Amino acid sequence: MRNRYEFWFCALPSISGRKKIHMKGIFPEAEEIYRRNPKELQKRCGLTDKEKAVLSEGQKLTAAELDENMADCIQKGINLICFEDREYPSRLRHIYNPPYSLYVRGGLPRESAPAVAVIGARNCSVYGTRTAERIGMQLAERGVSVISGMALGIDGAGHRGALRALRAGGTKDAEQNSEGRRTGRTYGILGCGADICYPAGHRELYEELIRQGGVISEYPPGVSPRAMFFPQRNRIISGLSDGVIVVEAREKSGALITADFALEQGKEVYGVPGRISDSLSQGTNRLLRQGAGIFLSVEDFLKEMDIFTAFIEASDKKPKLSLEKSERLVYSCLDLSPKNLDMLLAETMFSFPELMENLESLRKKGCILEVYHNYYIRSELSDFP
Amino acid sequence: MYSIVSTAIVCGIQSVLIQVEADVCDGMPAFEMVGVLSSEVKEARERVKAAVRNSGIRLAPKKVTVNLYPADIRKTGTSFDLPIALAVLAAHGRIPQECLEDILFAGEISLNGEVRAASGILPMALAAKEEGKQTVCVPRENVKEAKIVKGMTILPADSLNQVIGMLEEFARSPEQFQKSNIIEETGQDISCSDSDFAGIHGQKVLKRACEIAAAGRHHMLMIGAPGSGKTMAARAAATILPPMTEEEALELAKIYSVSGRFGQRENNFRTRPFCSPHHTISVAGLAGGGAVPKPGELSLAHKGILFLDELTEFKREVLEALRQPLEEKIIRLVRSSGVYCYPADIMLIGAMNPCGCGHYPDRDRCTCSAAVIERHLNKLSRPLLDRVDLTVEVKRLPLSEILSKEPEETSEAVRERVWQAQKVQSRRFGGSGIFYNSQIPVSCIGEFCPLEPEAGQTLQEAFERLEMSARGYYRTIRVARTIADLEHSEKICRRHIMESLIYREMDRKLWEL
Repeated sequence: MRNRYEFWFCALPSISGRKKIHMKGIFPEAEEIYRRNPKELQKRCGLTDKEKAVLSEGQKLTAAELDENMADCIQKGINLICFEDREYPSRLRHIYNPPYSLYVRGGLPRESAPAVAVIGARNCSVYGTRTAERIGMQLAERGVSVISGMALGIDGAGHRGALRALRAGGTKDAEQNSEGRRTGRTYGILGCGADICYPAGHRELYEELIRQGGVISEYPPGVSPRAMFFPQRNRIISGLSDGVIVVEAREKSGALITADFALEQGKEVYGVPGRISDSLSQGTNRLLRQGAGIFLSVEDFLKEMDIFTAFIEASDKKPKLSLEKSERLVYSCLDLSPKNLDMLLAETMFSFPELMENLESLRKKGCILEVYHNYYIRSELSDFP
Repeated sequence: MYSIVSTAIVCGIQSVLIQVEADVCDGMPAFEMVGVLSSEVKEARERVKAAVRNSGIRLAPKKVTVNLYPADIRKTGTSFDLPIALAVLAAHGRIPQECLEDILFAGEISLNGEVRAASGILPMALAAKEEGKQTVCVPRENVKEAKIVKGMTILPADSLNQVIGMLEEFARSPEQFQKSNIIEETGQDISCSDSDFAGIHGQKVLKRACEIAAAGRHHMLMIGAPGSGKTMAARAAATILPPMTEEEALELAKIYSVSGRFGQRENNFRTRPFCSPHHTISVAGLAGGGAVPKPGELSLAHKGILFLDELTEFKREVLEALRQPLEEKIIRLVRSSGVYCYPADIMLIGAMNPCGCGHYPDRDRCTCSAAVIERHLNKLSRPLLDRVDLTVEVKRLPLSEILSKEPEETSEAVRERVWQAQKVQSRRFGGSGIFYNSQIPVSCIGEFCPLEPEAGQTLQEAFERLEMSARGYYRTIRVARTIADLEHSEKICRRHIMESLIYREMDRKLWEL
C-alpha cells in the first residue's frame, strides 16, 4: 500500500522526472525525503536552488494535509503509478526525462499490444477528422492501442474512431483474452490533472475514455491546464507509442513537437500526405520531406512497422449498397471535403427538389453525412478509397 | 383686435390641430406668448418680429399677446412661425380675418421673411382634412408631401409677403386662384434601385431563400464569408417585394414626413423602403428616441426591409431592442410627455460572418479555434435568432461563376411569383388578422398548414434526427407553407418540407465538427 509520503513526493511540482528518479535512488523511502533537511537533500541529490525551495515549501505541509491529498486522489479513482512500480509502462522507462509518476484514470496501455499515436491539428478540416477517425477505428480493429492527446480536432477524432471500433466489436471479445485477439483500446494523455476534463466540450469523450481505455497525466489531480504543460505531455504521447501518425498539421503545429519527441525517442513517425496548397497539410508534407514515413493505409502502415495483428472484424460490417442512377451521380460528386448545395446544384445540374430527394435517400442509406449546415461529405468509414 | 389661425402639432405620426390666437391692444409695447411652449416655439417670437420688419411691414408699438391652445398639449417644433406671424398681422389689421378662415398653416420663417420647410407636414394635412378643412398653406418645399392628401387645396408659401398677397387673391376667388396656380402632379414613381436579381450569378440557394422570405414575409439570416454577396442579395431582395398599397404608402410617408426625410420618398412613393444602418447605431437610432421621440430606422423601414449587416457587431442592447417590435410590429416609446407609437412592420434581413475571420468552415483558410467561433456566435441572442425563420449559408463564388454570361432571372419575374404567393395567402387568411405565413400562430398551424402524410413523416424524422425544438418544428412548417404557396399548392408536400429544412436554423453542434 502506497503511503501518504509517496503521494506527496509525486505531487511535488517543478522537479523533473529524472531528478525525482535520482532522488528515489538515494532515498528509497519518500518519508525520508519529507523529513530530511532540504540543505542536505540539495547536497546529496544535486538539486538546484529552485528545486530546494520547492522541497522545503512542500515539507511545510502537515501529515494531516498529506492524508487529505492522498484521500482526494484515491476518492477520485485516480491510480498513482511510480517509476519503481512493475506496472510502469516499459516504453516510457527508456525515454529521456520520463515522468516519475503517472496519474491514471481507467487503465494503462497493455504492454503486449502495439500502440500507435494518432495526432494532429486542433482546428482541422472535415477531411482531417474523418481520416483520423478512420485510422483510429482501423487500428483498434486490429488490436492496436490508440494514443492521443484528447484535444479538439484530430486527437479527439482518433479517440472516437477507436471507441467506435470498441463499441462495434469490443464488447464481445473483451473477455475472450485469447492470444491478442482483442480490440485495441484508446488512451488520452492530458496536459492537466487527470480529474480535469479539458477541453470541457470533450466531457463525453473523457468519460468514455475512462471506461474504454484510460486517461493519463503526469500532473497531480487538480492541476489546471497551462500552455507550457502541453508540449511536455507530448513526450508521453510519443513515449507510450511505437509509432506516431500525424494526420493534419499546419506549418507550426504542436503535433510536430510530438513528432520531434518521437524521433528523439527512436519511434517511427508517419505523416498523412496532403495537397501542397492546403495549409493544414503543410506541416505533414514537411515531415514527409524530412524523411517521415508516408501513411497510405493502416494495412500498409502496420506491415511497414512490422506489427503483426489479427484483424478483428467489426460485427456490423456494412452490406454492399445499391444506388439509383441519380443517387450515384450525386454520390460521385462528393468526397471528404464538404460541398454545399450550391456546388452540388451546379455539378449535378439537378433541380432543387431532385437534389434534395437524392441527398435524403443517400443520407438514409448512410452513404453521406451532413457535416455542417447544408454541407455534405461521403460517409463510408470502413475502407479507404 | 383679435384673430385666430389654425395650425397643427405632430404627436407620433398623428397630428392634432392647434389654434393660434393673437390679441393686440393698447398698453406698454410688448410681445407675450403663452400656452405651454417649448423653447423653440418661444423663440418664434424673435423670428416673427424680425421677419415682419424685414418684409417691410411696420407695426404700431402695441401690446401683443399670443396664445396657443389647447393649453394641455406641450407645443414643440418649428412649424408655428408662420401661423404666429399671420395671427399677429391679422390682429394688427394687416390681413383680413376672413382670409385666414378654414386654412391650416404651417412653416418655419427665417429672419428675412422667407418660409422654410418643416417636418411633419403630411400628418398635419391629414389632420386638417379630418377636421373638415379644405385648404392648407405649407412651405413650397413641402408641397409634394401635402399633395398626397387627396382633395385638398394647397397654397405654397415662399415668403411672408407672398403669403399675404396669395391669401388675399385666394379669398377673392378661390376658383380663379386654383386655375392660375396649378401645381404639377407628383412625379412618376421612379424605381431608383440599381440592384437586380439578374445581377447575381449562381447563389441559387440564397436567391431562393430571398424569394421565400419575401413571399411569406419571413425574417432571414445570411451567414457567409466577406465578399460573398450578402449585401447585394439583401438589396436585391428589396426589389422583389410587391409595391405597397395606398394605405401602406401613406403610412410610411407619414413616418418619413415626421422625421423630416420626406424628400427620400418623393419620387418613389410606392417602392418599399430598404434601410441598412451601420452597426454602430444606438438603441435610439434604431428604435426611435429623443425627448420628443423621432422614428428610428426600424420605423423608417416600415413595410420594407431592415438590413443589418455584420449582425454580430451590433451592440447587444440594440439587438435586444428589436425583439418586441418584431413581434408587435409597432414600437411604443413612452416619455413623460406622452406615448409615441410608430409602426414598425419590417422584414428583417441579417448578415454575418461565420467566424471572426469569416472563412469557416473552410479550414484551409480559417484558423479560428472552436472557442473563438463559439464566442463569435454567442454575440447573437437566442431570442432574436428564434424570430428568424430562414437561415442561409452563403459561399464565395469562384471567378468563373461571377463572370458567367448565363442569363439569370430578373427581379421582375421573381416579384411576380412573390406577388402571386402573397395573393394566395391573403385569400387563405381572409379577415383573420393574419397577412403572411410568418404570422400564423401555433394554434392555427393545423388549420392553415395541412401536411400530406408523407410530408408529416419526413418532418417527424427530421425533428428527431436534427433534435429540433418545438419552435424549429413550427418554423419549418411555416416556411414550407410559403414554399407550397409559391407553387400554388393547397397541401404541403414532402418536397416542400425538405426544402424548408435547408433553411433551418444553424445548429450549434455542427459548428464544432
